[in-house]
Amino acid sequence: MDFIYSVKGWYRSRGGMFWSLAFPVILILLFGAIFSGVGSSKYTLYIQDQDQTEMSKVLNVALNATKLFNINTVKTDVNVTSFIKEKNIKGLIVIPKGFEQTIKNSFVNPSARVNLSFYFDPSDQTTTQVIRSVISGILQEMNKNLSQGRTIIGVSEISTITENFNYIDFFLPGMIGFTIMQGAIYGSIERNTKYRKDGILRKLLTTPITRTEWILAKMLFMMFLAALTTALITIIGILVFGMTVNFSPLVIIILIATSFLFSGMGMLIGRFVKEEETADTAAGAISFPMMFLAGTFFPLEQMPQFLQTIAHVLPLYYVNEGLRNSMIYMNQTESMINGAVVIIFAAVFFITGVLLTKWKED
Amino acid sequence: MIEQRFKCPNCGEIASFSGDLGEQMVVSCAACNSKGRITISTGRENNNYAIEVSHLKKDYADLTAVNDISFSVKTGEIFAFLGPNGAGKTTTVEMIESIRQPTAGSIKLLGKDIKTQFNDVKEKIGILPQEFHSFERLTVRETLVYFSNLYKKKANVDEIIKSLDLISYKNMLYKNLSGGLKQRVGVAISLVNDPEIIFLDEPTTGLDPKARREVWDVIAGLRKKGKTVFLTTHYMEEAEFLADHIAVIFKGKIIAEGTLENLIRNYGKSSILHIKKCKNATDVIEMLKQEGYDEVTSDGNGDIAIKIDYKERVLEILSHLRHDCIEYESLDIRRSNLEEVFLHLTGLKLTEDKQ
Repeated sequence: MDFIYSVKGWYRSRGGMFWSLAFPVILILLFGAIFSGVGSSKYTLYIQDQDQTEMSKVLNVALNATKLFNINTVKTDVNVTSFIKEKNIKGLIVIPKGFEQTIKNSFVNPSARVNLSFYFDPSDQTTTQVIRSVISGILQEMNKNLSQGRTIIGVSEISTITENFNYIDFFLPGMIGFTIMQGAIYGSIERNTKYRKDGILRKLLTTPITRTEWILAKMLFMMFLAALTTALITIIGILVFGMTVNFSPLVIIILIATSFLFSGMGMLIGRFVKEEETADTAAGAISFPMMFLAGTFFPLEQMPQFLQTIAHVLPLYYVNEGLRNSMIYMNQTESMINGAVVIIFAAVFFITGVLLTKWKED
Repeated sequence: MIEQRFKCPNCGEIASFSGDLGEQMVVSCAACNSKGRITISTGRENNNYAIEVSHLKKDYADLTAVNDISFSVKTGEIFAFLGPNGAGKTTTVEMIESIRQPTAGSIKLLGKDIKTQFNDVKEKIGILPQEFHSFERLTVRETLVYFSNLYKKKANVDEIIKSLDLISYKNMLYKNLSGGLKQRVGVAISLVNDPEIIFLDEPTTGLDPKARREVWDVIAGLRKKGKTVFLTTHYMEEAEFLADHIAVIFKGKIIAEGTLENLIRNYGKSSILHIKKCKNATDVIEMLKQEGYDEVTSDGNGDIAIKIDYKERVLEILSHLRHDCIEYESLDIRRSNLEEVFLHLTGLKLTEDKQ
């Protein structure tokens, strides 16, 4: 029952609605647009020409002539697999040694055949698709000229499973974690400061509702908000940015633990900072730096070493990483470890929050 | 003959006196020798008590907020706990509501010790905390339904709305209500479980006189429904208007207790008869003094004030005036009030908020 009334009150509060729904939507659209738009008109293609012959140069020229690519040449002594991993490369073509020789052989030996290797990133469908169709077009033309349509030059595609994702892939789980954190902390502070000042807590103490029932009702509401936020942000990610998002029970567990974690943190803030306005400021002072330091907007790798060390003691970092690993990178083992850390943080904060909260008056 | 126990307001000594119902007598305390007038009544000791508080004490680090107070509230009466801000009213009522932990003493609600059996009485009490402010974005009706759902025993929410004259506001959001309406909703919330005892902690503080009057009417209506009401207030008029029984609390101690009549009789000045624009005022004063009226004052402009111990004296004075063919513009008898009782007891004025 309490739950329904919490939803009603929240629905009628323009501010509450804005901060829990519209704000994350605006942020995700804004950041998504800023960071996803980079270099979308031209695709970067790497070529390693192991053959270094006239024939391989023709192929290079043909690719360049499409004007669709920024073409980068990779030296022949470079190990392609580690190079791709290192540089987060989305498309790379290897022209094998003996490319020209095989083509020459094909005039006498009809079964002679050579394959280009196309290393592609399955998570970046657009780049892959463009490179694939351009190569197949060029090769079709070349095959036609060389042998009236018999396939001499083919392509073998090699999927590169690298941690090579768009900014939006990074940003979306962080946005979910951050929004739930804000909702839980501020909701909890409101209950512990405003409700105390307004006598609502005193009133409830004299009614038959138990403390546990009251807390659980409020947590149910927090989880409802968390689910709504997650759903909304994810839908935007899928519809607007064409993301592939994976939902596993692990994600749900992390979301629930996150609600408890930051509700507990809000209780602790409300316990020590009695005034509602001051408590809100204190919450901002804690949650905003945490938002940046825990890698919500920017990958930790971009930050100096000492900030990265700080990130590893921040609960939000594990929420962000756990959600990212499970929803985007499909790295469930890593996510489970992050999830476990979140659960431990949640237990510590929530239990101390409940224990330290003064329910009665002095 | 009824034997009744009385507590000496001066030293707290308890003594028994006998008399007929309604009989008045002047008695003196065996312990401290102070004199006082008593009226033999049915004796509250023979009735059922909704609230029994004994030797209640609350110590804080730097002060004793409530210092060994005992009192009881009869079922069905409006009991006013009257005192200035900081006297210990809210501390006391919140200890009775089990919101604060007493340092010492015992509290019984409906015969149950709240230390061990508070959960048993939660269904039977309704409280309005001091400066209560409900959920902003629920309507009046939703607010009442919300609180009513916390109880097993439920009063009809729509009937409460009707009886407190809230029908035209029932779909308004709480935050948009005026202060008086918010307090009325607060009283309504305390009724959602059809409680036997209702605690109202300063229900009219900060309201304008009209809104205060409206809340008073609501509270007076509770008595008609047979509810016991425990009311804390620092407004004299509120206690005078509403209370069947008044306890005056000052610096953590109950300094006087009784019905309004009792308090005024025991601690107030007697009534004052004012004669306005009296001709031959000096002669009249002289005459009254000869007749044995000690406390006669004049402002020199023909207005005379005479202290009167009991009402028969008024007739006496009037017949003197008539006999001597004294002309005057008007007469007016002003009864002593709680303000004077408080002044007498503490030497201080229990004034309105200075805000």
